[in-house]
Amino acid sequence: MSGAPARLAQVSGQINSSPKDRILAQNPDDVVVTCALRTAFTKGGRGGFKDTAAADLLVGVFKAVLDKSGIDASKIEDVAVGSVLPPGGGATEFRAAAIAAGIPVTAGVKATNRQCSSGLQACVDIANAINAGMIDIGIGAGVESMTSQYGPGAVTEFSDLLNSVQEAKNCTVPMGLLSENMAKDKKIPRALQDQFAASSYQKAEAAQKAGLFNEEIAPLTVDYEDPKTGEKKKLTVSQDDGVRPGMTAEALGKIRPAFAKDGSIHAGNASQISDGAAAVLLMRRSVAQKLGQKIIGKFVMATIAGVPPLLMGVGPAAAIPKVFEKTGINKDDVDIYEINEAFASQCVYCVQELGLDINKINPKGGAIAFGHPLGCTGARQVSTLLTELRRTNKKIGITSMCVGTGMGMAALWVAEY
Amino acid sequence: MLSFRTTGYNGYAVKYSPFFDSRLACAASSNFGLVGNGRLYILSLTPSGIICEKHFDTQDSLFDVCFSESHSNQLLVASGDGSIKLFDTTVDQFPVLQYKEHTREVFSLSWNLVDKGLFASSSWDGAVKVFNPDANQRASIATLPVGACTYSCAWQPSSPSIISSVASDGLCRIFDLRSPPPGNEIIKTRVSQMEVLTQDWNKYRPELLATAGVDRVVRTWDLRNPAVPVTELQGHGYAVRRVAWSPHWPDVVLSASYDMSVRVWSDGSNGAVGVGAGVGGAPAGQGRLLGVMDRHTEFCAGVDWCLFGGEGWAASTGWDEMVWVWDVGSVMGSR
Repeated sequence: MSGAPARLAQVSGQINSSPKDRILAQNPDDVVVTCALRTAFTKGGRGGFKDTAAADLLVGVFKAVLDKSGIDASKIEDVAVGSVLPPGGGATEFRAAAIAAGIPVTAGVKATNRQCSSGLQACVDIANAINAGMIDIGIGAGVESMTSQYGPGAVTEFSDLLNSVQEAKNCTVPMGLLSENMAKDKKIPRALQDQFAASSYQKAEAAQKAGLFNEEIAPLTVDYEDPKTGEKKKLTVSQDDGVRPGMTAEALGKIRPAFAKDGSIHAGNASQISDGAAAVLLMRRSVAQKLGQKIIGKFVMATIAGVPPLLMGVGPAAAIPKVFEKTGINKDDVDIYEINEAFASQCVYCVQELGLDINKINPKGGAIAFGHPLGCTGARQVSTLLTELRRTNKKIGITSMCVGTGMGMAALWVAEY
Repeated sequence: MLSFRTTGYNGYAVKYSPFFDSRLACAASSNFGLVGNGRLYILSLTPSGIICEKHFDTQDSLFDVCFSESHSNQLLVASGDGSIKLFDTTVDQFPVLQYKEHTREVFSLSWNLVDKGLFASSSWDGAVKVFNPDANQRASIATLPVGACTYSCAWQPSSPSIISSVASDGLCRIFDLRSPPPGNEIIKTRVSQMEVLTQDWNKYRPELLATAGVDRVVRTWDLRNPAVPVTELQGHGYAVRRVAWSPHWPDVVLSASYDMSVRVWSDGSNGAVGVGAGVGGAPAGQGRLLGVMDRHTEFCAGVDWCLFGGEGWAASTGWDEMVWVWDVGSVMGSR
């Protein structure tokens, strides 16, 4: 841009200065997204990816991103992969996955783990590295094979020292149990949870039928062993398999509570155990423009907040206000909130606590309907958010989730199209 | 108030001559400086109003003007094509010198008040350049890297070598030509979260700098402790395009804004309570608005103080094609 348009942009940039205008402004040093894709999510233990290793899912989604974006893979400088369960953090197999996907050895790879926000943290790490000038182009990703790696082995046994500090010891309380207590504590009745969960299913069903996930899902062909016949075959997985059609709050109301006899949380109003991967290609705007990459969104900023470990579900209610505080925007400026549905109880609580418009929450459903592969979710939300913002001709979105051991994370994105 | 209409040209900067109490210069551009010609007006204050002694036309827009401190008839303009032109009012039509080093719009010029052989320029290309026209050198003698669209550069008024810049990245950088290159940078400090468009050094306190820009706030900074502003002056409704400290009153600063007003502020530094209170009687340590000049009907872009005669005359210009010359005292509510 030069001449009159550049001067006009300069002057208008000086006048449009509300916080919202600042967020929407396009500057050469912005961190932008030029491609965001995910695999389908399939049920842990029995879905289409049950015989596929996490690293293989990652190879699939990396290849899809390279293919769709058309980026010269040798220009990628770093890759961050969020994952929660793999022993050793996954650093070795993720490096190998990047190489297997065709990303040259000249790019770095790291594994990162901030529990359920790992996928988002990976994207934020890459964005911050771009902001700091360390790299120009990177991939933030997330992956989880809960089929193969979910279980008690993921946590080392606590020492006596840790166990001697009550708040520290609380970090080991299982999710279901603490969420049950939190739902009681915060007075979120089961009916409300079931209603929210049913609506997640209904929204996801409608979105799936309308093909709204097609753009964000990269189909993957994998090996699959039929559990009944033992027959091994190739299977192309292109759809989330957790979305149950025709779900209603009444139907969910019949399910027995999972964690306490008089409890309110059950399999139908908590996130599903799933396998999946997602990846987001990030770069500086000036670089994207030079390479002719199509920009689909902009990363604005992210926040992290700690909460008591036993109240980990309130995380988004702590992290999202920090976004408002640091940017000066308010809740009405945001068009869509992708708040991870770890449990209907905590999601409902956060929406109520922040006073958000329920119609802006997870418009295509969430983890209750199609699953929550732990480390993947944060990266998955980016593609879900940006495609929906563009489809509905809207601009500003927040992705957020609660984080095990008591944290919340949130990120602010702007769709560009 | 006296006025002059720069018909067809939108004002970007106005300056008083440091040699003649009746001479003004105004840099203006057609089509709001977006595209088209520029025009430099040499204006004269006469008993019958302001008259145009002369004007010079330029190919591209003009964004700033600066009188030479060493030659009474010479002055510089900053052009949109990246050039800096030195005009002599005794020579017709064409500039006597031209410097073409910046690769984008030159937006500000400053002549050194101590070493009168030096002037500096800043540009959207992200550099501040220092020139020495008297040595008959056509090339800059120093390039100071800013790296962001640099809206203003200003020599510290009592130093031959210290120059400050403010830029679109919200940072103020202070360079000292005596400090070792590369960089020559001695201070880099954030003065706003948003673009900073203007700055001016206080004429009485060598450590005090005022900055302002897109966030609408005029801030003063004691550069011995640049971590926090000394005063924040809030009131403008849109970005502030130019600030200018008074040459007569150490606590008074003018600001011209896109909100079509020029505001008069005291930074509160001269305000012992009661006897000896500063202009307008502002309490010590507390900045306050002293008055508003609201005759402009479009964006105000330039304002400057008269160095001579009765204290407190100022000139302002803006996109309404007007130059106003006015007594600052007349717009102060408390006077």
